[in-house]
Amino acid sequence: MLFAALGVAIGTMTVVGVLTIALAGQARIYNELEKYGANLAVTPAINNVDTHLGDLSMGTLAVGENYIPQETLPQIRQIADGEIREARGITDPGDIATIAPELYINTTVKGSSVMVVGVEPDAESKIKTWWNVQEGEYLEGTDRALVGAVAAKLLTLNTGDAIDLNGSAITVTGILVETGSNDDYQIFVPLETLQRAYGKEGLVSSVNIRALCNACPVEIIANAINQNITGVRAIAVKQVAEAEMGIMGRMNRFMWALGGITLVVGLFGVINTMMSSVNERIKDIGIMRAAGASRNQIMRIFIYEAVIIGIMGGIFGYLAGTLLAYIVGPLVFEGIDINFVLQYLPLSLALAILVAAIAAVYPALRATRIRVADAFRSL
Amino acid sequence: MLEVNNVSKIYGEGSARVIALSEVSLRVNDGDFIAIMGPSGSGKTTLLNIIGGLDYPSSGEVILDGKRIDNLAENALVDIRRGKVAYVFQQSHLLVSLTALENVLLPLIFCGANGGSSQKGLDILRKVGLEKRAGHKPSELSGGEQQRVAIARALVNEPSLILADEPTGNMDRKTGAEILLLFNQLNKEGHGIIMITHDREIAKQAKEIIVLQDGRIAGKINSE
Repeated sequence: MLFAALGVAIGTMTVVGVLTIALAGQARIYNELEKYGANLAVTPAINNVDTHLGDLSMGTLAVGENYIPQETLPQIRQIADGEIREARGITDPGDIATIAPELYINTTVKGSSVMVVGVEPDAESKIKTWWNVQEGEYLEGTDRALVGAVAAKLLTLNTGDAIDLNGSAITVTGILVETGSNDDYQIFVPLETLQRAYGKEGLVSSVNIRALCNACPVEIIANAINQNITGVRAIAVKQVAEAEMGIMGRMNRFMWALGGITLVVGLFGVINTMMSSVNERIKDIGIMRAAGASRNQIMRIFIYEAVIIGIMGGIFGYLAGTLLAYIVGPLVFEGIDINFVLQYLPLSLALAILVAAIAAVYPALRATRIRVADAFRSL
Repeated sequence: MLEVNNVSKIYGEGSARVIALSEVSLRVNDGDFIAIMGPSGSGKTTLLNIIGGLDYPSSGEVILDGKRIDNLAENALVDIRRGKVAYVFQQSHLLVSLTALENVLLPLIFCGANGGSSQKGLDILRKVGLEKRAGHKPSELSGGEQQRVAIARALVNEPSLILADEPTGNMDRKTGAEILLLFNQLNKEGHGIIMITHDREIAKQAKEIIVLQDGRIAGKINSE
């Protein structure tokens, strides 16, 4: 009986473990996407033109500037806010989406090559909600710089230090807490300051847009931008999210299949254990039959036993499955957060009882077919 | 009344064919005490099993109170086991995980009896002299006590016929005599008894002795 319960428990443990990992993994990816900030990215369109001389290919030419004119920003806002208003039925004429333009300049600071990013401080902080300043203060005013954690360490920059950007003197006023992203290696300065220093007035390298929410019509906005504004390319980050969710879905199905196979294998183990349990008790069955037990009553005894095995196995399998997820989960998804999933307890119990009952029916049927005389003769 | 008409029992087929019983006939009136004697393998237990519906004959018929039971379906035999016929085996065949009282109550539980039945169980245990041992497990009882519990279990449904397969076979002479005394008392109270025994002294107490040899009735001795 204990072994049968153990067999059921191992089956349910695997199913619960796998499902718990899958659920926590999904939550992790959602969380990750939430952190991703922008859900729409606008970059300059690069038109590649194949050049030919007769039948001879002369290679590919990149046509067009690698910048977006800043004057398209109001247009982008108009499209983004318009689509969101339409989708969500908003009539308020104020700004809705956060639009954060960025200008990238690769330059040399203190002898090292570094990426300097021009940003609009307010918009940038709304998109990069995870930014924290570890020293000094956030960007304010002009001719100031906010340095990524790693860049600050590598370039030995502290607040108050001055850096030279193409002849303009900039003061470091803040250093970011490490984020684990590219931001750690970059230096952020106000957009106008960078544009002025490098003569890129009116130009930005990319525009990050954070629509109202995750459920916003980002594809529709992207399509509208692509159709109405030339020279730019808008990509909905949701596409990335959907691709990831697709992978997640396939993985979920795989895990279900894995759990199912384990359960089936466990089922045979339990049938085996139940069979030997019945064989051990052929004499007892004979005694009960001689004492007036009907086949149905014997059958019921074994089914009850199976239900008890199922309940024991289900509860143990649920606990062990969660423990399994706790141990194995972090190997599958880094930084995963495993918790008890309460709605898996009834699932686990139902599954365990079902498996135990299925496993009990055949041995119990066999048990009731034993003739009383044979039950005693076999001793 | 029990009638056994031309009952044969054959095990196996071909060269492995064993004739356990061959054309056995006998009549047992209500309240009779019949002893069955014979060497090992003469078919005593097979006959008792067939009489009690624990086994089916290969041919012939068994009639209990005017009703054929040799061809009954398993579920109908359950009713006979629950009412008319009870068994006492050489081994007491108690369920080791249950107390003496619970073992006695087992037939009532299978009959679907409920409240008040434990008092009945205690009454019957008193009858076999074990009311003080009701809460004990079989492992805590002596062989004779275990057999008394088995007899109490057989009595709980008030059967008209008790089938006993060497009930004193495993006991010393003194304990065996006590058990036999109990059977005699039950017989006086009106229970019919068919008992297999090797002991001539025990058999003498029966109204009739049937001697089996090689599956046939070799003789009947009327002790009266």
